[in-house]
Amino acid sequence: MSDHVDGPRSIGEPAGDVTDLFAFTSPQNPAHTVLAMCVFPSAGESAMFSNVIDHSIVVRRVTVAGVGNAAKFQPADDEIRFSFRFETLTRDAAGNEIQRGVCALPGGRELSFTVNDANGASTPERDIRVYAGLRSDPFYLAWIASELKKVPNLLQHDNVLCLVVEFDTLCLLDPAEGSLFGVIAETVPARQPKGNVGHPVARIDWVGRPEQTNVRLNNPALLAKDDLRDLWNQQTPFAIAKELQPLFLQRLKDSLVDWDMRDGESDWTPEALAASANLFLDDFLLFDVARPITDDSHLEIEKSTLGGRPYQTGGGRTVNANVIDILLTWLVNHDREFLQGGATGATKPGMDVFPYFATPNTELQIAAESVELSASPDTVWSSIGSFNLDWHPLVASVTLTGTGVGQLRTIRTRDGKEIVERLEAIDDAKRFYRYTKVAGFPATHYTGTLEVRASGAGCVADWRVQFLADNQPDILVRGRITTLLKTGLGSLKLRFAAAA
Amino acid sequence: MSTIVEVDRAGSFVTDGKIAAINLESARRRAWARFAQEPRRVGVAEDIVATERLGAQFFGDLDALDRLDTLASQFSQADRSSRADLVAADVASTVHRFADARDCLAHAARKGAPREAVERQLLTLDQACGVGLDSVLAARRRIALASGRIEDLVPLGAVLADLGCFAEADATYRRAFRTYDGISPFPLAWVCFQLGVLWGEAVPEPNANLAALWYRRAIDCLPGYVKARVHLAEVYASRGRTDDAETLLLPALSSHDPEARWRFADVLIAQKRVVDAETQRDAARRGFDELLERHLLAFADHAADFYAGIGNDCRRALALARANAENRPTRRALEQLAAVAGKAGGTEVPCEPRPDVDVQRDRTRSL
Repeated sequence: MSDHVDGPRSIGEPAGDVTDLFAFTSPQNPAHTVLAMCVFPSAGESAMFSNVIDHSIVVRRVTVAGVGNAAKFQPADDEIRFSFRFETLTRDAAGNEIQRGVCALPGGRELSFTVNDANGASTPERDIRVYAGLRSDPFYLAWIASELKKVPNLLQHDNVLCLVVEFDTLCLLDPAEGSLFGVIAETVPARQPKGNVGHPVARIDWVGRPEQTNVRLNNPALLAKDDLRDLWNQQTPFAIAKELQPLFLQRLKDSLVDWDMRDGESDWTPEALAASANLFLDDFLLFDVARPITDDSHLEIEKSTLGGRPYQTGGGRTVNANVIDILLTWLVNHDREFLQGGATGATKPGMDVFPYFATPNTELQIAAESVELSASPDTVWSSIGSFNLDWHPLVASVTLTGTGVGQLRTIRTRDGKEIVERLEAIDDAKRFYRYTKVAGFPATHYTGTLEVRASGAGCVADWRVQFLADNQPDILVRGRITTLLKTGLGSLKLRFAAAA
Repeated sequence: MSTIVEVDRAGSFVTDGKIAAINLESARRRAWARFAQEPRRVGVAEDIVATERLGAQFFGDLDALDRLDTLASQFSQADRSSRADLVAADVASTVHRFADARDCLAHAARKGAPREAVERQLLTLDQACGVGLDSVLAARRRIALASGRIEDLVPLGAVLADLGCFAEADATYRRAFRTYDGISPFPLAWVCFQLGVLWGEAVPEPNANLAALWYRRAIDCLPGYVKARVHLAEVYASRGRTDDAETLLLPALSSHDPEARWRFADVLIAQKRVVDAETQRDAARRGFDELLERHLLAFADHAADFYAGIGNDCRRALALARANAENRPTRRALEQLAAVAGKAGGTEVPCEPRPDVDVQRDRTRSL
């Protein structure tokens, strides 16, 4: 995956694991540039930022120092840094647990914000705006890369913690001095241990272009090779240790040779492949603020420069850019034929408005079953339309409390579980009732409906439950609900005979 | 002697324990979601084992053991490779079904599982069962020397403590601090807890002050650390500080660990709050009953102590102690069996440990 779960250290603290980095022109305001980083792969709905990590996005001006097989991008020494730091949890006026943070801006200014506030925070001058919080993971990977086999998006429904900074391009980047930039994102411990406790750690993780670590450096096809990812992650961005450069470069070359042959065809000359490896060694995401950055422009600057041509786009990486397919196409067949994976987009597309990353995936899940029966709808409803569920084969006993809407049923299932549900609405004329869960099921927002509709000479019994799994995996909760629904409706088939 | 000042600073450079707990739960749930999506994907089932085990170890989330059983079952249906056997072995080991774990490892080996993965798990099993501790020690030393990582140093410290090399165990744990280069509070809390057990229970002449300091620091790193709260409360209660013990235990009662309620009942008895104590004792009994029904071997030793004491059912205690000793005939297990048999008025005279079982102090409480 892009840079998700890319080494033992970042796996040990997922909140420090940088998954992706983005650089694009604001769709809302073309005079603004947006830089964003994501951390915490597969973050759950409650995920929070670590309070001991500095999350930084760092930009340097870059010049083209060579083209063709001598392609080289030279970063300047000066940097523009946006650094996010987070506090421990506090409670807001309503008693809800919240997290606050501060972004240190270039020029010594600071911007305070509250995590998950979609409006973010702006400077009084309105030249910089920041956001931090949970969002739908914009990255999508729809390949089993080792076999080049298409699969559905492996990150479907995943969330990440996003950090977004939008700023006035002219004010902060001064493109008149040069419009090409390199950007990296890094996570660094905010406090270093002193004395003899702990080991000073320079860096937890950092990212330039997508897939430097998981695809290029740690190519799983290169058997028996050491995992270099943590070593790489501890390098200083824009300044890889000189003594380690040969090690990383050789690994990149070996890996690119392997990628070239994944389709059984050699599309790269050794010289071009070495030039590409050399270019990837300088790992920063290139973007040019004077040219258009589109969903398709990712890596165009690098590819054109390697091809000995002036680049045409702003490169960068938009929220919706299909970076994995662009990269695999480049590595495997040198852009001979586009390799489209098994998905054409992430779970949710990016937004045209701040903070540009889609809202997190918290939609209700639905389990639904239905059965067609040859009996009349009234006959079936007279058997199953009372709220006591005594017709269900998995129900051992039911105790009813109260009557009418608001009535509670306490169900004891044959496997010893107890479920309490409340009747919220019932309409015998329409052969329908709706209920909610009170206790006994690991789910929230749990609403069930049971309905019998006329269908031809017979009827359809329809049972559906919407829910959000709570403290249990979706699959387990869905499995339990589906079993309940299927077994119940299945028993009606025997009783009333299924329609042919 | 440990240097306490070292750990005074430890909590300041790791993630706040409350955030870490929230993020562990977050990662655990997403790991399951990923498993639902693609159960065979490399690392996903293993991630679930890791996160579920952390939840059980630190936060007393004992439902994790049921979920792990579910995982092992579902994964074995989805994946016929040695990975499923390794995961099943890991799960069986977690719930102390050591013989099952060995069987699974044998299957994994036959299917070509990486030798290192099999040997690592066998090492853990041998250590837990007290089998060939000299070999275990040699292997632990070798691994810790090669990696220098905290997750390898702590088991080395544990086996040293098992063998009575307390000074070296202490030095090893402290080395774990010096080499720790992460920002997660879990490993540091773990080391603090191990040092608490070392000085509070393992050494021949326990140092309650020192143990309390280490437990306190484990809780500072990770406020939700149930076992650390229980152990520190025991120290406080033994010294008459029952109010402090109560304060410590109250937040732990929401966990599913019946030991929290058991120790809380002890505190209430010391405070002469008999009715409240009975309520807590009954809750602890229900908790143990439920756990034993599903994971007998995982809780047999603790439950034996409970039923031999406040649980007031010596026959059951004896049966549990016997089951535990049969499962892992360590010196500690056999001593427990003898003690419980004495209380039960039975004639059970435990023999010496099996020839392949080394002299080992109790390490179950340190896990």
